[in-house]
Parts: sequence; structure tokens; C-alpha cells
Amino acid sequence: MSIEPEFSPDGGIWECARCHVPLVQQKVQAQYMHSAFDVILPRCPHCGLTLIPKSLAQGRMAEVEALLEDK
Amino acid sequence: MGKTLLQHTQSLCPVCLRRIDAAYVREGAEVFFCKTCPQHGAFRVLAWRQAAGLADFSAWQQGRVPAYPAHPATALRQGCPYDCGLCPEHGQHTCTGLIEVTQRCTLHCPVCYAAAGQGAAPADPSLAIIERQLQALFTASGACNVQLSGGEPTLRDDLPHIIALAKQQGLGLVQVNSNGLRLGTEQGYAARLKEAGLDSVYLQWDGTDDTIFQTMRGRPCLAWKQAALQACREARLGVVLVATVARGVNDHALGDLLRFAVAQGAVVRGLHLQPVASFGRFPWELANAPRLSLPDLMLALEEQSAGMVRAADFHAPSCEHSLCSFSAVYGRDGQGGLQGVVGAACCGTGGGQGAVLDNASGSRRSKAFIAAHWGSPAEKGAQGSASVQGAQAAMPLMDDLSRFVAQAGADRRFTLSAMAFQDALSFDIARVRGCCIHVVTEQGKLIPFCAYNLTSFEGIALYRGKEKR
Repeated sequence: MSIEPEFSPDGGIWECARCHVPLVQQKVQAQYMHSAFDVILPRCPHCGLTLIPKSLAQGRMAEVEALLEDK
Repeated sequence: MGKTLLQHTQSLCPVCLRRIDAAYVREGAEVFFCKTCPQHGAFRVLAWRQAAGLADFSAWQQGRVPAYPAHPATALRQGCPYDCGLCPEHGQHTCTGLIEVTQRCTLHCPVCYAAAGQGAAPADPSLAIIERQLQALFTASGACNVQLSGGEPTLRDDLPHIIALAKQQGLGLVQVNSNGLRLGTEQGYAARLKEAGLDSVYLQWDGTDDTIFQTMRGRPCLAWKQAALQACREARLGVVLVATVARGVNDHALGDLLRFAVAQGAVVRGLHLQPVASFGRFPWELANAPRLSLPDLMLALEEQSAGMVRAADFHAPSCEHSLCSFSAVYGRDGQGGLQGVVGAACCGTGGGQGAVLDNASGSRRSKAFIAAHWGSPAEKGAQGSASVQGAQAAMPLMDDLSRFVAQAGADRRFTLSAMAFQDALSFDIARVRGCCIHVVTEQGKLIPFCAYNLTSFEGIALYRGKEKR
């Protein structure tokens, strides 16, 4: 029932440099300091290489990092 | 002294419970709720107080766009408040559904809106009935929060099972309203409730010394309440301290209570004040109740907290009716104190004077706020955190990262709030129609809390006990 926001790439069409296939939006588990978070991110369907969009890295992910590290 | 008519509404005669016209009238610095029954005469009760630093009665209130029930359970026949279920004209969705799982109680408090622990209590509703109530609540109101109440819910040995049923039903925050006696005296009990899925304990707590408990509860309670709080801390259960406040009993001790609550750290999510209302069992004459208006509480908190909080910090709600509550959210300073107001509990500041609020969005935000702020402290490790998972039902539009930020941020905040219940003198039909706290009856109807508990001067109930099993 949960409608999870998807974090799409910041712009342009992204493809995996190794496999030469377009990235697809997939559920990915991000782990940090013994915590795990399910998020939907652009990912290579072959090798699993995952792109973390700049907006996510500088936004929500930075906030979570600060809270986990008690900053 | 000159009188100014501020606002018309409707009410009930406190004697015969017939619907009559009513009005808010200003006399000097006070606003009274006034009404006249053609048969039983005129009645009035203090509703608001003007003071420097406090919002004016009219400025406090905000326009609202009603949010009607998607699937009303009852038809309009006699009009509000006689058709509750909810009827098609009810103006607010459910934020918290309340299910009374027993009428038995370990205490026999002089003040009890449910008049519990008196004589032979009726048999507890069966698990099958409670399951139907939970389903009815979810069907009518979606993933709202639920409070298991009573009587004293912990007297039921199957309470963990009921908590698990509420979680399985997909409801948001699951909270138990308790006097704390079993939590404080039975080893491992708090942990069992936590394991069953409990998020929060609504722990009745009137003050910081036993003379207050002696008056309000008829016995000293502090020792076992402190043991209950410690048990919840060890079990990582969130606790909201809930005080019934009566003039001359504990209204002078609110500053001490606030300092005590904040000093407990993240286990105590907030302090919630309930000025006395006269329904169920109470030891005074209704007309001479030791009442306090919401502004009285705001001023008392400012005066007694030595600058910790200010009356101007408090905001009107944007979920329930403006005259029903106030709240503020504070940041914790990490040393057992507060470091300034960061917003309004419930649903934000609402947009200021003259703003018109949408009840449907106010209700959605309120549910998510309560789930995050009154739930258990965050736990690091494993899959996100237990409380992130717990808040998921109430915050479905967020991903894990956003839920974690909302939850962990909540541990660094403290909510301070008050809710004024209505009794036969203060019952305002406009407030009842805007109510978001709904009692779920055994037949699955939803009744606004104050309508459900209302009793006349002669103790005749409008709804409680009227439904046949």
C-alpha cells in the first residue's frame, strides 16, 4: 500500500558505463551504521551499479547521516 | 459591565439535553458560553480569558473547510448531536479512534469521565467484538491512530493480543491509556506490550507530589507511576504524561510537572493537559466545577516555568476545532531542558489570522505528527528502526529515509499540549462537529469523544451505555 517516492537522476539519460544499458528505477537497500533503508533509485539491471542522485545525497541522505552520527 | 456578542452556535440544555441556541459573550476580559433552555432556564460558563500575550478569542479561531465522512454510517434524522455514527454532516475525519476494551478498573478515582471501577462492571467485550471495532475504524477512517482505553486496559490479560490485532489491521500509532499500576508492578509487562507492537503509553500523571494524587486519584500513586515510567524507558516505549488539571488542586504545580516531564528525556514524548470537565464521575456540583480555560493553562505554564515556555508559543490546532486545544513543540537542549519553540504540535501553525484551513489536510498531517512524536524513541540498527516501521502506516507517502528523519527528529523534540473536553455546560455543537477523536462503539459506530461521554446534570448519558450488545 505504500507509495514510495522515487529518486530519479538529476537530468539526462543515464546508462551504465560497464554494461552499456540504461539505468532503471529499482528498490535498493541503502545501509549505513547498522541501519537499512529501502529507497527507489536508478540502477543497472545487469551489474547492480546504483546512481545516487545529487539531490538525494545532499538532501535526505545527508540529514539521515547527520542524525545517525549524532552530529 | 458591557457585554459583546461574539459568536452564535448551538448547544444542549444541561438538564434535558434538548438542542438550544447558544452564544459566546464577552464581559470585560472574560468570554462566557451562554444559553437558555425554555424549560430549565439560563446557563453560562467561562470559555476564554483575555490577557496580554494571549490571542484574542476571535483571532485564535480559524475558518475551516469541513472534511465530511466518505462513507457516513448513519443518516441525518434529528440533527447534531443525535445522529452520531458518523453522520454525513460531521466535519472532520478521525485522527485518533478510541476503543474501550474494558470497564473494569484497579482504581476508583474521584474524577473519571468513564465512571469506571464503580459497582459491577459489564463483561469485557470479546476479542471478536474488538476485532470488528478495529476493522470498522480502519474501514471508516483508514490508517488513523488508535487508543485502547477503558476502564484500565491492562486489566485484560489478552491486551498484547489486542495490540497485535490493531497493528495487523494496519492502524497507525497504537497507544494504551493507562494508570500505570500494572506497568509499574509487573516485571517484564512493558516489554511484552512493546513486543506485541505497542507504540505509546498515554500515562495518567497529575503532578509531582502525592497530595495531588491523593485528591485526584484517592490514593498516593507516585511510587508505582515512577516504576511504570522506568519500565517503559527500559522497554523503549514512548510515554505521554497526561494530567487532569483542576483549579486549586494542581493548577499551581504545572511548572514542576513540565520540568519533571522534560527531564525524563526522549522516553517522555510530551506532556498533555486536560482541564477538568464534568461528565461521568466528579466530586463537585457541575455549576461549581474547578474549571480552567485554555488561556488559564497557557498563562499558568508561562508563569510557573521560569521562562521555559511562553503563552505566546501556543497555537490553535488545525485538526480539531480551534477552541478544543492548544499545542507547541520545543527542541530539547540535551541537558534535561528545552531550547525554544519549533512549531505547533498536531499540524503546524495553520497560516495565521484570517486563514482558512482545509480540514482534510489538517487531519492527514495531524495523524502523521502524532505517530512520529508520541511513538517510541528511535532505535538505531536493524531494518531502519522499529519506530520507523511503526510510523509507516501513518506516513505512507514517505520513503524510509524521510520516515527516519521525521522519527529521529522527533526524539529531539518535546510536545506540550492541552485539550479541553466539553461537558453539559460547555457543549458547543460546532466544536463537536469538528471533533477528530472518535470513540468506536461495539457496533462499530464512531461517536465524537465529548458527545459519547456527555452526561446531563442528572447523570443521564447521551450515548455511553445506550448501545445494546
